[in-house]
Amino acid sequence: MTTSATPPAGPPARLPAVRARGLTKVYGSGPSAVEALVDADMDVPAGEFTAIMGPSGSGKSTLMHLLAGLDSVTRGQAFIGDLDITTLDDRELTRLRRDRVGFVFQSFNLLPMFTAEQNIVLPLELAGRPVDRAWFDTLVTTLALGDRLDHRPSELSGGQQQRVAIARALIAKPDVVFADEPTGNLDSRAGAQVLSFLRRSVRELGRTVIMVTHDPSAAAYADRVVLIADGRIAGEISDPTPESVLAGLDALRTLDEVAVP
Amino acid sequence: MIRLALAQMRRSLPRLVSAGIAVAIGTAFVAATLVAGNVITRTTYDSMVASLAQADLVVRGSELTPDTLAAVRATDGVAAADGRVALWTELAAGGQRAYPEVTTRASDPRLEAQQVRSGRLPDAPGEIALPASLADRLDLAVGDEVRTVRTTWDPETGEPSESTESLAVVGLTEDPSGAFARTGGAAVVHPDDAARWYDQEWGGEGLAYDAIVVALEPQADLEAARAALADAAPGTVVQTRDERAQQLTAELTGDTEALTAVVLGFAAIALLVAALVVTNTFQVLVAQRTRTLALLRCVGADKRQVRRSVLVEAALLGAAASAAGIAVGLALAQVTLLVLGNVNPDVPLPTTVPVSAAVLAVPFAVGTVVTLVAALAPARAATRVAPLAALRPADAPVLGTRASRGRLALALLLTVGGGGLLVGGVALSGSEGGVMVGLPVGLLGGALSFVGVLVGALLWIPPVVALAGRLLARTGPSARLAAANTLRNPRRTSATSAALLIGVTLVAMMSTGAASARTTLASEFDAQFPVDVVVRDPNLGATDPSATPQITSDVVSRLAAVEGVEAVAHSRVVTVAWADDEGDLGWEELQVLPPDTARNVLLDPAQADGLADDTVVVTRALAERYGLADGDPVTLAVDGGPGTEVTRDVVVTDFAGALLATPTTLGALGVDLPTNELWLRLAADADTVAVMDDVQEALSDSALQVFGVALERAMFENVIDTLLAIVLGLLAAAVVIALIGVANTLSLSVIERRRESATLRAIGMSRAQLRGSLAVEGMLVAVVGAVLGSALGLVYGWAGTLTVLRALGDVALELPWRELGAVLAVAVAAGLLASVLPARSAVRTSPVEALAVE
Ligand SMILES: Nc1ncnc2c1ncn2[C@@H]1O[C@H](COP(=O)(O)OP(=O)(O)OP(=O)(O)O)[C@@H](O)[C@H]1O
Ligand SMILES: [Mg+2]
Repeated sequence: MTTSATPPAGPPARLPAVRARGLTKVYGSGPSAVEALVDADMDVPAGEFTAIMGPSGSGKSTLMHLLAGLDSVTRGQAFIGDLDITTLDDRELTRLRRDRVGFVFQSFNLLPMFTAEQNIVLPLELAGRPVDRAWFDTLVTTLALGDRLDHRPSELSGGQQQRVAIARALIAKPDVVFADEPTGNLDSRAGAQVLSFLRRSVRELGRTVIMVTHDPSAAAYADRVVLIADGRIAGEISDPTPESVLAGLDALRTLDEVAVP
Repeated sequence: MIRLALAQMRRSLPRLVSAGIAVAIGTAFVAATLVAGNVITRTTYDSMVASLAQADLVVRGSELTPDTLAAVRATDGVAAADGRVALWTELAAGGQRAYPEVTTRASDPRLEAQQVRSGRLPDAPGEIALPASLADRLDLAVGDEVRTVRTTWDPETGEPSESTESLAVVGLTEDPSGAFARTGGAAVVHPDDAARWYDQEWGGEGLAYDAIVVALEPQADLEAARAALADAAPGTVVQTRDERAQQLTAELTGDTEALTAVVLGFAAIALLVAALVVTNTFQVLVAQRTRTLALLRCVGADKRQVRRSVLVEAALLGAAASAAGIAVGLALAQVTLLVLGNVNPDVPLPTTVPVSAAVLAVPFAVGTVVTLVAALAPARAATRVAPLAALRPADAPVLGTRASRGRLALALLLTVGGGGLLVGGVALSGSEGGVMVGLPVGLLGGALSFVGVLVGALLWIPPVVALAGRLLARTGPSARLAAANTLRNPRRTSATSAALLIGVTLVAMMSTGAASARTTLASEFDAQFPVDVVVRDPNLGATDPSATPQITSDVVSRLAAVEGVEAVAHSRVVTVAWADDEGDLGWEELQVLPPDTARNVLLDPAQADGLADDTVVVTRALAERYGLADGDPVTLAVDGGPGTEVTRDVVVTDFAGALLATPTTLGALGVDLPTNELWLRLAADADTVAVMDDVQEALSDSALQVFGVALERAMFENVIDTLLAIVLGLLAAAVVIALIGVANTLSLSVIERRRESATLRAIGMSRAQLRGSLAVEGMLVAVVGAVLGSALGLVYGWAGTLTVLRALGDVALELPWRELGAVLAVAVAAGLLASVLPARSAVRTSPVEALAVE
């Protein structure tokens, strides 16, 4: 590991945790080719909560997959820290996922035959690493899971399941946590809880979080919103509020209408 | 609904294909068995037709005398007629001997079943024509002489004597239509010789034919001739050639039908296992289609339609698989025929398999019905899908895990009741003749308890898997995941394991039974024979000094040179009259050997304990019969000898002969005998069968007789090993089908767990770990089935051995380590192999899929 696994002590150093340079993804080839992402450049500073927003089909998920090393790029580079992940093979990518990135999924994706606790520590087990009990307790307390650890996913509410998933994503102290519409399957109260936990994990636990969302009020929890339209980065809103995000999205839509008369 | 069924089938095709392969193996088995039965029947029929040559009619009756033959010959329309008798004779030429069937020269070429290859058929008594292959074996050509050796009995005294005649070989025959293929070819002699031999053999009771074959004039009417013959020879039955051939075939193939039935029993086991695989497959498919089925219910499909869609799918699968199975079975039979035809050109086999309607219809119906029945339970499960299920989130389906109370009760009842009967069978067979009662009781008990075990599989396999999983889980996260996965669907895991358990139980049972029988009977043989091998002069017992001793130093040195023979001891055997102080005890064989020599070759040296110049060893059975104990004096005298009587002290041992004394005692009896028996001890690790072959070879040109425990054991072990190999071969089909089931279940699970696999990859599971996890899962299911099956088979094997052999004495219960080890190794390997394809598709899953919603 090249970056420190413990939260930085002082005020944010604001080094980029994730970078994209000319990142391009084309699905298929020939006339039926789809340019899902074109020449995306992006810097995500460490210790920041970034939201990616844009209309459906604009390439949000694609961008996230490429940044996380889940999918192969057509062109360009993606860095986690100073490691170019587009050059890694499957084994190195597996190691990267074990040590440096965590995922939160829209549909939770907990393993139904394991308890909450077993689900949370699974990444460490797979990596053959010991569980840092203090860190585990911190996560459990922060995510308010203390009395649910022995339950199986089927015995947990959606919000609880998603909190278990967040704990699972954080247990290995990754550099970055990627979340694709983590509140998509939750009602607004549970969603709000999950979002504030994500924000606390950034503020209090020093993680970096990149989240894809459709919901302007969800995006408002982030430090920064990256807008994307038609596979291109279309703008950025710092310290977003639901209103400013909505305004930004509206602007995108007008752009679209202007571009496609 | 048919359209729906077809659409569903297309989606699940690969899974259905493996279930179909399971069914196809079963139907191929049935088809091949039926075809084999047909081939045997057809070959026999052809051969029977050929043996009747061109005869138009066959006269049968219990009193077919030469007078009958004359009457037949005189009947209108009869061109020629011959009597047929069943005769065999021993032929000797050079050092070779053969024992062929004998027929008589026909009076008309149309009645001659064989063809002349060279020379001619015998025209006069004292001539013989031999099958060319037999002449080859005896190294004879036309113009040579061959001796017949016939044992005849004096009609007055019943004394046997050997008579030898010399015959001139006048021709060589061939048998292209296989008339005598069953008996390896028949020699042709003149009717007069045959009549004389028949007379000798049956002590002058007068010649009676088995049948009279009749050739008609070309213009004669068959039915008219038939009626005329019935009149001319009252009390007979007149059959056409075809009728007679069919009757003979039916008589001869009775055993074949029994054999076919037994083999079909194994096919039934294979089909049962295939049915389990089918049930499991549909169970899983229905579970995976819960949402689709619920959606159908939501848009108005009723339960009947849902059930029918599953059953239609099963019927189509069953029909397709059965058709494929029949094709495979016929192809296999055809290949076998071609190979056999090449290896064994003397036996006229049909060149193409005889395909009857039954060969096609029976396996097809059986395969389809089995598949359909196997799908009944899953079809019912499909009707239980509530329309509401369409609205639930699409998590991996979880099947019902609780076994019903009724199932528990039934399983317990069958297992406990059957177990009781099994024990009862063993207990009953303890008494003399009890086997006849004990065996059926034990069989019934075994079958019932096994059904109970299978019915209860859902109750007790999951805990065993859980235990094994817990042990394995210590080895790492992959194994822990695998263990957790096997327990997600206890029903699925149980069914998969149980399918394997059936085959493995039967394999283990047969191996255990064979091993136990081998050991038990081997010790029985040990009690019957004092040494490994006895080589005996046929003139043994005769004290006639003029007989030339057959055991020469040449024979002894040749035997000693055989690899595996460790010791050769000279023994003399003489019949003695013996008596104790209460009177005569009759005659017994007295073996004479020096004590040290005896001890060196005896299977159990203790049998010669106490043997000395002033004692005689008496076997325990004789001692008990006459109330003799150690130290009792008995007198011995050689029957017909010089009359010297000696007195010796009795020593009772487990000697596996009658009496044993030293050469000094023999000397005292006043007889001087050459060595007339050799006792051989074989090396402990010798390959008995091979050594016995060599021993026979070393004695091939002498008249010495060979017997002994080694020979009996070798023959017996040969029989057991051959039978075991055949049974295991037949059971292999069931095991293979079960292993396909393991692979299929695993594939289905992998499909179901696609998203989970992707999630695991996303949170840091490597491809190797994922692959390993599936390998452990496959192994866990297979090994649990194999271990439980081995344990069950061991119990059944022991119970069976006890039931059958207890009456014989002490039963040795063996643990066939080698076979059980092999079963386990196969299970581990198969579990691993079964995981290869599912694992490949699982690791191909990109982690991106974990993020995708639906
Ligand atoms: N595997 C694929 N093959 C072909 N085209 C794809 C594939 N995945 C995505 N696309 C296309 O790429 C474009 C961007 O897709 P992406 O999933 O990134 O959109 P998104 O912004 O996440 O949309 P949503 O908000 O609906 O999730 C879309 O036009 C989509 O159709
Ligand atoms: Mg998306």
